[in-house]
Amino acid sequence: MKRYDAIIVGGGHNGLACAAYLARAGRKVLVLERRERVGGAAFSDEVFPGFRFSVFSYVVSLLRPEIIRELELPRHGLQILPLESTLTPLENGDYLAQWSDHDQNRRELARHSPRDAEAYDEFGLLLHRMARAVKPLLRVTPPDPASLDPRQLLELLSLGQYFRGLPEKDLHALWKLLTMSAADYLDEWFESEALKGTKSASGIIGTLLGPRSPGTAYVLLHHYMGELDGVFRAWGFAKGGNGSVSAAMAASAQAHGAEIRTQAAVSQVIIKSGKATGVVLENGEEIHGAYVVSGADPRRTFLGLVGEKHLPDDFAASIKRYRFRGSSAKVNLALGELPRFTCMPEPGPHLRGAISISPSVDYLERAYDDAKYGEISKRPYMDIVIPSMLDPSMAPPGKHVMSIFVQYAPYHLNGGWSDARREELGDTVIDTLAQYAPNLKGAILHRQVITPADIERIVGLAEGNIFQGELSLQQMFFLRPAPAWSRYRTPIRHLYQCGSGTHPGGGVMGASGRNAALAILGDRP
Amino acid sequence: MSDVVVISGGVDGLVAGYLLAGGGRRVTVVLEQDLPAGTPGWVPPPVARKLGIELTVRRPDPWLRAPLPGGGALELWQDMQRSVESLRRISPHDAGKWPEFSERMARLGALLERIYVGPPPSLVDTSFALRVRRLGRRGMEDLMRTLPMPAAELLDDWFESDVLKGALGALAVADLQQGVRSAGTAFRLLHFHAGSPPGVFRAPSSNLGVLLRGRSGVTVRSGKAARIAVSAGRVTGVILDGGEELAAGTVVSDAAPGRTLLDLVEPGWLDPDLARAVGHIRSRPVAARMRLELERAPEWPTLTLAPSLDYVERAYDAVKYRRASAQPVIDAVADGAAVDVVVQYVPDETAVSLAPLEPHLPLITRQTVQYGQPHQAELALDQALWMRPLPELARYRTPIGGLWLCGQAMHPGASVAGASGYNCARAILRA
Repeated sequence: MKRYDAIIVGGGHNGLACAAYLARAGRKVLVLERRERVGGAAFSDEVFPGFRFSVFSYVVSLLRPEIIRELELPRHGLQILPLESTLTPLENGDYLAQWSDHDQNRRELARHSPRDAEAYDEFGLLLHRMARAVKPLLRVTPPDPASLDPRQLLELLSLGQYFRGLPEKDLHALWKLLTMSAADYLDEWFESEALKGTKSASGIIGTLLGPRSPGTAYVLLHHYMGELDGVFRAWGFAKGGNGSVSAAMAASAQAHGAEIRTQAAVSQVIIKSGKATGVVLENGEEIHGAYVVSGADPRRTFLGLVGEKHLPDDFAASIKRYRFRGSSAKVNLALGELPRFTCMPEPGPHLRGAISISPSVDYLERAYDDAKYGEISKRPYMDIVIPSMLDPSMAPPGKHVMSIFVQYAPYHLNGGWSDARREELGDTVIDTLAQYAPNLKGAILHRQVITPADIERIVGLAEGNIFQGELSLQQMFFLRPAPAWSRYRTPIRHLYQCGSGTHPGGGVMGASGRNAALAILGDRP
Repeated sequence: MSDVVVISGGVDGLVAGYLLAGGGRRVTVVLEQDLPAGTPGWVPPPVARKLGIELTVRRPDPWLRAPLPGGGALELWQDMQRSVESLRRISPHDAGKWPEFSERMARLGALLERIYVGPPPSLVDTSFALRVRRLGRRGMEDLMRTLPMPAAELLDDWFESDVLKGALGALAVADLQQGVRSAGTAFRLLHFHAGSPPGVFRAPSSNLGVLLRGRSGVTVRSGKAARIAVSAGRVTGVILDGGEELAAGTVVSDAAPGRTLLDLVEPGWLDPDLARAVGHIRSRPVAARMRLELERAPEWPTLTLAPSLDYVERAYDAVKYRRASAQPVIDAVADGAAVDVVVQYVPDETAVSLAPLEPHLPLITRQTVQYGQPHQAELALDQALWMRPLPELARYRTPIGGLWLCGQAMHPGASVAGASGYNCARAILRA
């Protein structure tokens, strides 16, 4: 029987990144994926004949440049097409457009508010500086602040030193970003409702929080952290959809000798005297390895694959109260023609960027109010892209695919999710969007509606949370996913975690997978 | 002529004034409004000690009384065992959890009690970090988790009773324009716990105001400050409403930072960036405070009407869109036949209805109402500790030479009585 160094549970992008790094360091690695193809939530599929979609996640922004470089992802087929504008149609028929061209952007902002146009550059500079201060933390394995272990004390000290090295002004600005609501934070800078609405929208993605909820300001930074090939603030599509990110990682891992088995669902981690020694597949097959790395979310990993009886009580309690609360849905449309937005009806560069249904902070907050009490937002927030505008291979000639990220669709829906409720969600989304683009209904050839319950069922993410657990302050850094176990290790010896349920988590970033691999290589040189 | 003029609308200015006088300064206090008989909020013991006063502290008992839907009420007492017994009647589960919850929160509360006496720690303060480490693993984990948490999440982690969670949640968001599901509100539960025995999340009140008014050693006069005179970047005195000028090289103000720095000081002395930041201090009025005179004393010392966390959250929803809650949170504390009632959320001076309270009240003979934000700067994580009210002002000193802030907007402020005055005076005496 073949023996592996590392068995990786789950072929999502973090599992694949971890596998690639381990294989690159000469380890014998096996990746086990439950579905027919790898990718997890970074997955492309021809959902309707001729129409390809990034089924779940749909843009690339946070993917770490060192991962692109070290795993040679471009050589393995990854190509990023930049996404350069954001259009926010307004309820009064006007719009707010944000362009990558500085002067054009400034003119457009000034049309809404000369004061905002003035403030915008300063705001950008501050956030840019904050993003630079935070970025090194994405690569750090969070030390345990209560630890007495000398190595960790050193890490704590150097972390302390890092912060002490930052100008005090920046530290306070960072604290504000971590603790304020996006709406309060933006109120200090801007007055235009459309601008505040659109900017605050980035703070609510993936959470069951509204723009007025404290803690949402931090995510504004993410927009300034996205960097592709060293270009700050660039967002983009992977050519061929987000599945191409996973495919490139898988190819890189395989080139270094990793094995990948699909349709191999793991049902259990084998634990002998407190130590992980392998896994059991659903078909009963046992596979042994020196260590096991789980890319599944913390709930599935510990309460499902490991089992509570193997866990210390405190740790099990932490994992049980770890919050998921999925709130995002996805609607994928195959279109016979391009949408014509009332505010900008002719086809143009705005269709090559993002279209954001976020006319004001109040609009988003009301959408949240519905979800807070367990209902689908009557008028949801939407982030829309039309990938076929940039990558014609996604749709047949003259036709298009549209990807609509929708919030809020709470996982814990009153009465539960059903086929009828799924269609109701789809109708709500289409009806809302059709108010801005009246030809939409007639243009739809096919539609796919994915609820948080579907995300959980198909991809395996608990409660459909796209970040494997909310990125709220009490679930970040030292505390992700549980205090004392934020270092990719677990209370079970030889069992590691590498999913976005660990620091830094969230988005198609790959940092959790990479950090986990480095932690493992540090433990087992 | 005095060395120091204090502009005072509350106890903090008087505390600062007397401590400065104790330090050998000649002090004039301009009292802008009379102090109420009872001073709400915990007075840290070093404040009373330094003033040499013996406080009479009032701790309502039960400190929380929340009516149950089927009649009767949940009552939480200063005495832990009595609280457990009352809880047992509504939820044996919660009764079982209460002592451990109280004990763990009290440990964190004790940390706050220590850091509230003295200037706020800095964000990268090694001695603060070491103090936190002394909490031990469990304490540190509790602290890191609890500070940024929503009160609702903390309470849901521990308890099942809606009545218990609703009432505690209501106290956690007192005077804040946030709801119980907002991050950082669990911290406020600890804040209001400071100075109380384990398991008591309502700050006591005292006769601090009365004792301060009865003291001698400083010149106290009533009046209203119209302007703080500044020359060459330094204060030279205070000009009163009538035009009279009180000259002094040091001016201490317990008025809100916005009023002190933007209204009383002539524009131009403050750096525009700081002026903008002062203008952004969040200090939104969220509650109507009423004082009711009753025919006779009610049967309860406190009464909290907030039957569930969702009830509190829905009350908050209205204020997000600048409306008063249709079903507000009501918290009442009785002192004999006088009752102080707080009705939240009320964003402006709209008339409030006491209908929900009426079944619990004897006849009202007289009522007065006040609006405003008593904390001057809402106590939220981005306006607490080293951020209170702004990092640039957190050490009580302002960029204008000789001008100091000591009001409720300063650390710790927010219903901790006299501590910001105490911290400010000590900073001045050390300077």
